[in-house]
Amino acid sequence: MKYTLALLSAATIAIAGLQPVAAADPCEIKVGAIGPMSGGGAQWGLAMQSATELAAAEVNAKGGLKLGDKMCKVTVVSYDSKYTADGAAAGANAFASQGIKIMIGPVGSPEATGIKPVAARNGQITWNAAYAKNSLDPKYPLAFHIAPGPATWADPMAKYVLKHFPNIKSVVLIAPNDQAGTDVASVDSQAYQNNGVKASEEYYQRGTTNFAPIITRILASNPDAVDTASSPPGDAGVIVKQLRLAGFKGVIGRMGGPGTEEILRVAGGTDVLQNFYWFETMAVTDQMRAIDDQFRKLLGKDPIGGTSMWGDLPAARMTLKAIEVAGTADDAEKVAAALRTLPVDDPNMGKGVWAGQKQYGINQELYFPFAVGIIKDGKQVGITRVDPNS
Amino acid sequence: MEQFIQAAVIGVSLGAQYALLALGFTLIFGILGVVNFAHGGFYMLGGYVAYSCVVQLGLPYPVGVVAAVAAAAALGWLFELFLLDRLIDDHLATLMLTLGLYLLLSSGLLSIYGPLSMEFTFPVTGSLRFGPIYVPRENLIVLAVCVLAIGALWLILFRTDLGRALRALADDRRVATAQGMRPKILFPAAFALATGLAGLTGALVTPILALSPSVGDPVLATSFLTVILGGLGSLGGAALAAFIVGLVEAFTSVYFGGSIGALVLFVLVLLLLVFRPTGLLGRQARGA
Repeated sequence: MKYTLALLSAATIAIAGLQPVAAADPCEIKVGAIGPMSGGGAQWGLAMQSATELAAAEVNAKGGLKLGDKMCKVTVVSYDSKYTADGAAAGANAFASQGIKIMIGPVGSPEATGIKPVAARNGQITWNAAYAKNSLDPKYPLAFHIAPGPATWADPMAKYVLKHFPNIKSVVLIAPNDQAGTDVASVDSQAYQNNGVKASEEYYQRGTTNFAPIITRILASNPDAVDTASSPPGDAGVIVKQLRLAGFKGVIGRMGGPGTEEILRVAGGTDVLQNFYWFETMAVTDQMRAIDDQFRKLLGKDPIGGTSMWGDLPAARMTLKAIEVAGTADDAEKVAAALRTLPVDDPNMGKGVWAGQKQYGINQELYFPFAVGIIKDGKQVGITRVDPNS
Repeated sequence: MEQFIQAAVIGVSLGAQYALLALGFTLIFGILGVVNFAHGGFYMLGGYVAYSCVVQLGLPYPVGVVAAVAAAAALGWLFELFLLDRLIDDHLATLMLTLGLYLLLSSGLLSIYGPLSMEFTFPVTGSLRFGPIYVPRENLIVLAVCVLAIGALWLILFRTDLGRALRALADDRRVATAQGMRPKILFPAAFALATGLAGLTGALVTPILALSPSVGDPVLATSFLTVILGGLGSLGGAALAAFIVGLVEAFTSVYFGGSIGALVLFVLVLLLLVFRPTGLLGRQARGA
């Protein structure tokens, strides 16, 4: 035993000795990327991470952020908040312990609920992408919102979808039975009803793996469409697969977060989806696809998250710009103040506006025109930009 | 009536899957006195090994299933022989060891395969239809394999010398050891048998549902709930409870919705623990 311990100690010392002693970086800015990086919502959290990595790499490629007379390199620290309130709160504290005051994320409503008070106490900026009715709150002025929730886009989206699938007269929405699910499904349900579609809601316990019993219940009402709302993409994939297996021939929709790539992977392709529509934060154009090329060029790997990553990128880019304007990454109040003065104009997404006053009482939400994706008869029709006033 | 029959079909199908998981879990507790927190990890490992064989190596699906069983059983055997066996009577240590193994497995699979779900589908698709009732073909195959596996496990445990030795160790380790049973050989064998079952379930079920590095989490919860209901360590109790859990989950979800379905199961276990703490067929708390 002593011999083994001695060997282990010697090996440890030898390995430690091989590590190059890194010189302390005179100016390094650490930015946190937080969101679910495992589980059914992993695609959303990894998108947040990829977007933050790209924004940092773009800045670093130009020599870094200019803070006073120093050029500072930006590094990204990630945290898997597992789509839970406690995970996100723990993430905020973990970042605070490393002196990180700027976070890009989290993603879901439970995470946004959990992180807001903790981040406020720690003096940290957050950028949540939640669709909760309280995603923003005037009492948390350091909380920003990456994109509008369904209260803004559900009605125009329902109108657009009904033009493509005019036979939809009834829909069942299925979502988790927590805030992330009920906030979205109830707003979506109202939007369908406002457009003359009979809508009902079905909820499931997060962590459900087999949806066959719930699907039997849904099909008993013989709906024309089933909407997976804000179910995590992994869950939605299983729901789609089991709906088709149960013989459901109607349209399946998703007036919730993006994640169609993951749904396609789990369900088994566009042939299984057949007739499908989903919300996207933006239209897929060459200008948007260029983001992926830029990512590969700067980071030497593929980005994760598809359109979700593209949607998260403007927030990450603007935050880094705000750090430069504020001249600090340690004072979140100053960075937030600088952020509020920046115009919403992204190199890839184009022009947008600051919004949120009407829904949340605080104008800290990025708003770009949204898009809707359609798969018809097993074929991708495309992702089209939708004019909210159409 | 159609809804009732459909719920029963789904309940039996769920029950068979839960039975395979719960039998392995309770086997380990019954014989070794260890609560295996890594059980979901072996399920996950089975799914990923089958995926690698079928999708990455292009092997036939049945070969993937056999490889999954072999890999999960081999890892279970090695883990018991070289780690667990050294601390077998220290409940806290075995708890931490199995929990640690689960974290290692999930982190390892995450770093190898990435965090997103795999595109892994069952080779047989479609449903048999009897009017409004449907039975997915894949579920029928899984059910058949589950019933065969449960039967084979029963034969091993009740009709072979190995099974008799394992049951003797479960009843009274000191007396069984005095009679010539060798825990050093039999404990790893029992652990491998149980983890092989978890690997088999993973290989069968993940292509039907989903395969990602988090699919092991609910497995542990379901296995735990089932064996508590059946009586920790009771094989018959675990099998009976698995089908009860499957049927209760199916009927309550179909008639009252997904939220109530999950709630009813926990209330059921709670009531049972109050009125019959040993579970449905359990005898008494086991002294390992």
